Amino acid sequence: MSQWLNHVLERASTVDDWLSPVRAQALDTLKQQQWPTRRTEAWRYTSLHPVADLELKSGTGNATAEAPVIEGLNSLDLVFVDGQLSTDISKLKLPEGITISELSAPSEPAEAIFAQVKPSRHLFGLVNDVLAQQGVVIDIAAGAKVEQPIRIVNFASAGIESHQRTLVRVGENAQATIIEHGSGSGNSLNTVFAEYDIAEKARLEHYRFALHEGEAIHIGGSHFKLHDHARLNSTLIGYGSQLTRLDVDIEHAGEHAFAKFNNVYLLAPRQHFDLHSTIEHASPNGTTEENARGIIGDRAKAVFNGRIHIHRHAQKTLAELNNRNLLLTRGAQINTKPELEIYADDVQCAHGATVAEIDEEALYYMLTRGIDRQQALVMLNFGFVQEMVFQMPNKALADWLQPILKTRFESMMEKQ
Amino acid sequence: MLSIKDLHARVEETTILKGLNLEIKPGEVHAIMGPNGAGKSTLGYVLSGRDGYEVESGSVEMDGKDLLDMEVEERAQAGIFLAFQYPVEIPGVSNMEFMKESVNAMREAHGESALSSAEFLKKAKEACKQVELPLDFLKRGVNEGFSGGEKKRNEIMQLIMLEPKLAILDESDSGLDVDALQVVANGVNSQRDGKRSFIVVTHYQRLLDYIEPDYVHILSKGKIVKSGGPELAKEVEASGYAWLAEAEGADA
Amino acid sequence: MSEQIDQALARKYDAGFISEIESETFPIGLDEDVIARLSAIKGEPEWMLEWRLKAYRTWLKMEEPDWAHVDYPKVDYQSISYYSAPKSMKDKPKSLDEVDPELLRTYEKLGIPLHEQEMLAGVAVDAVFDSVSVVTTFREKLEEAGVIFCPISEALHKYPDLVKKYLGTVVPRGDNFFAALNSAVFTDGSFVYIPKGVRCPMELSTYFRINEQNTGQFERTLIVAEEGSHVSYLEGCTAPQRDENQLHAAVVELVALDDAEIKYSTVQNWYPGDENGKGGIYNFVTKRGLCEKNAKISWTQVETGSAVTWKYPSCILKGDNSVGEFYSVALTRGRQQADTGTKMIHLGKNTKSTIISKGISAGRSNNAYRGLVRMGPGAEGARNFTECDSLLIGDQCGAHTFPYIESSNPTAIVEHEATTSKVSDDQLFLCRQRGLDPEKAVSMIVNGFCKEVFRELPMEFAVEAGKLLEISLEGSVG
Repeated sequence: MSQWLNHVLERASTVDDWLSPVRAQALDTLKQQQWPTRRTEAWRYTSLHPVADLELKSGTGNATAEAPVIEGLNSLDLVFVDGQLSTDISKLKLPEGITISELSAPSEPAEAIFAQVKPSRHLFGLVNDVLAQQGVVIDIAAGAKVEQPIRIVNFASAGIESHQRTLVRVGENAQATIIEHGSGSGNSLNTVFAEYDIAEKARLEHYRFALHEGEAIHIGGSHFKLHDHARLNSTLIGYGSQLTRLDVDIEHAGEHAFAKFNNVYLLAPRQHFDLHSTIEHASPNGTTEENARGIIGDRAKAVFNGRIHIHRHAQKTLAELNNRNLLLTRGAQINTKPELEIYADDVQCAHGATVAEIDEEALYYMLTRGIDRQQALVMLNFGFVQEMVFQMPNKALADWLQPILKTRFESMMEKQ
Repeated sequence: MLSIKDLHARVEETTILKGLNLEIKPGEVHAIMGPNGAGKSTLGYVLSGRDGYEVESGSVEMDGKDLLDMEVEERAQAGIFLAFQYPVEIPGVSNMEFMKESVNAMREAHGESALSSAEFLKKAKEACKQVELPLDFLKRGVNEGFSGGEKKRNEIMQLIMLEPKLAILDESDSGLDVDALQVVANGVNSQRDGKRSFIVVTHYQRLLDYIEPDYVHILSKGKIVKSGGPELAKEVEASGYAWLAEAEGADA
Repeated sequence: MSEQIDQALARKYDAGFISEIESETFPIGLDEDVIARLSAIKGEPEWMLEWRLKAYRTWLKMEEPDWAHVDYPKVDYQSISYYSAPKSMKDKPKSLDEVDPELLRTYEKLGIPLHEQEMLAGVAVDAVFDSVSVVTTFREKLEEAGVIFCPISEALHKYPDLVKKYLGTVVPRGDNFFAALNSAVFTDGSFVYIPKGVRCPMELSTYFRINEQNTGQFERTLIVAEEGSHVSYLEGCTAPQRDENQLHAAVVELVALDDAEIKYSTVQNWYPGDENGKGGIYNFVTKRGLCEKNAKISWTQVETGSAVTWKYPSCILKGDNSVGEFYSVALTRGRQQADTGTKMIHLGKNTKSTIISKGISAGRSNNAYRGLVRMGPGAEGARNFTECDSLLIGDQCGAHTFPYIESSNPTAIVEHEATTSKVSDDQLFLCRQRGLDPEKAVSMIVNGFCKEVFRELPMEFAVEAGKLLEISLEGSVG
């Protein structure tokens, strides 16, 4: 069992707010969960040892921080420090078509806010259900085409345990860009779960940057529900840390929906990164393209589980998943499992996974053109990941990210 | 031999054939020309019984029997052969194996005994020669890795092996250069024996220089709007299909 | 195999002795006494009994695995009899007329000649000399080459040191639930030993053993190929095998020493149960091979039967440059469930593995590929290529792929691809337009789908496998 989880259950019973009815349900489910061991399939390759007996303070709300500036992005920033909202929403100049309310402010029925999208099987999602007291609900009105990106920034300070929650509802035929930007490095535990309900014909451009490092423990999820003709383009960038675990769920609840999901992980020495993605094709005529690429540094460990589940009547589904990995040293490790569970026959479904070495021929070619070896290795290895960055629709983000990732990669190479 | 009366047919929600009439006697070669979207390929699919193509009204009789009442393979066994515009691949199944099964299925349907391997190989060799395909292509998978020209020649080779009563050639000339075109045409012409009929569907007149038709029909918007002899094809060559729009305007 | 001859001969010349043994069938239930009696009846050496008992004690502490993508009613291990003697001549059918006509119809379709049909159906073969002569030539040839191929119970008498040296070295007693059970109660199986540098002069087949013996409820097979030797082993046959024993838990261990090569082919068509899935056989098998330097082990399998199948023929690529291969066609129909695949464990340098898995699902069945490719830290320059393709026939079945890929060596290359599709409408239309009826068309297309795997089977098996597939698909189309 886990002392930490026991304390969560205790603390959960002291939380009393307008969301209590739904929190109670989540608490019931949580009480029935077993603490994961190596034999628990969902945690097979990630040990929860760092969390099992963890004892940290809860967020105090005293710390403040500035959202990192990204040139040309001009985003509307909602900053959370240790799970507490530090931005004053009332002072924000909201673009037309957007309403933002705080999770702590009662609005519609509690059931409308929680557990609409996120599957209840995620253990830490349930913890977030019972403990997250601060967060935001962002509504994009039907037909609104919001150009300005909205960025939710989460800072995790050392020595603190915090929980933050987001719900975004993109109305019919609306369009929006949401960025989840998380970071932290001291010994912290920060759970961040975001749910996205994308209505008919709506389009969502989404980014999640999990740039935690060092002793940080970051566990979270981004969960998407797509209705008829909805479109999602999501990019995830992960660094790994003492323990970073992200669950991404994309559900084709409606027909003719399209989802493109790219993810990149660059693990510095001794970091751990675990990404579990699940694509549920529950309706016909859906399309999903998922591409995951990772470079794993010395003694770091990456876990990737990409599941595609095509339900019985989800005919004419097109689903493709690809995972490519590079290990930099002997101590690096990758565990990847692309899964297919298919019950409909008129579908086209494929997946591929590779763990591969660099192309010696390509390297030689570059050397013969006068490029020095180190530089050549950097270009080849990094090019593999850079491709994903270039596919990001938001150019300001791509321009900001590319040099950061490059520098990170170069330092990973040096430490070999 | 084949009698098509007032045929209306649709695919998905769209009606493509809107009252097509055609009479084909044994030994005749009928060319069907027309602009894209007119329904040329649809005719071939409807006659061969492809899934997804629904007949709304009208009739098709082959040798006095209701063709529309038969399954795909029954129509094939009754003597209908469709040379596909885009022949599909069947990986792992060799051309040899495929053709042998097919030839023997036809023979069985006609109460004939199956060919022995040796007999079959002999026939296959001759057919390959006819379309200038090397013998080793029999070992390759059906259409697997074939070039466009090889695929079309493979269709004609199958025609030669199966000896149908009515062969429908669906744009068997598309994508071919002059040499390949001649090979295809020679193959087809070698099968004209006065009893076998052909429907040659083509967009361009060029093929008809090599395969001289007895009749030429212009198909437009699901109906045959003009019929004539081989000269009609030359007219189309000269003036294209634009005049059709005017003619339709006049009718409307 | 020789046991069968011995028994047949003995029957003719010494009925009294045999009938005593023949009448022995254990009451249901399992405990240490049952195991002791089993070992005593077989006249096993003391160490073998000890080995069995250790396995049994380990089994008692284990839990049946439940993670496989299969669903079956719990087996009551106390309601099985763990030893039943081979049928006496008196109880067998006197001729094919007494045999289930349905069974005969299948034999005919598979093109099995009459006297072989008799053997398969367990008909009392009168002409003992006929079968003896065939089998005797076989044995002579093997003896000349120094090859040992006999039932494992005989090997325990004649070559106990050899068996002791290798038994349990590839699949340890406590490896998994079913292996532990098998280690405790295995009744018989094959023992094969190929001496250094010898290329076994013929394919070894278990075919000859089907007649007399029980169809291997807890079969244990051990194949040892010494340095530089070579053997091809065929297990099973295409004929549908019924068995009163519903649970089959076999263990197969292959040992390929330096430069040796073992090819193990299986064509299995256990009874799958009726259309509601009742009465079929549960087939839980642990098969594993160990490769030393430059050695090679290939597993080729065609599985079309069983109500539930759980098997992962695996290779431990311990020696540098060793090679492991897995070629599989698994067809499920009706309400069958299969969870099958392979594990390739790369330990040595430059080791290579190839996995080609073709799954075909029809009816209301579920067919899952579960594989593991592990590149250990020492697997410098190792390489794996995996291709898993699934074909769905009809919209009531399921096809699943669960490939686990683990790597800790940066120079090891792993490439995995999987696709899922159905028989395309275009392909079906092409075949039908050329006069083939839909069932024949699907059968041909599926055969093409499996070509890459069939190519790896020894020739006669390949032909049989094709026919088997055709018969198995009957009624699954349209």
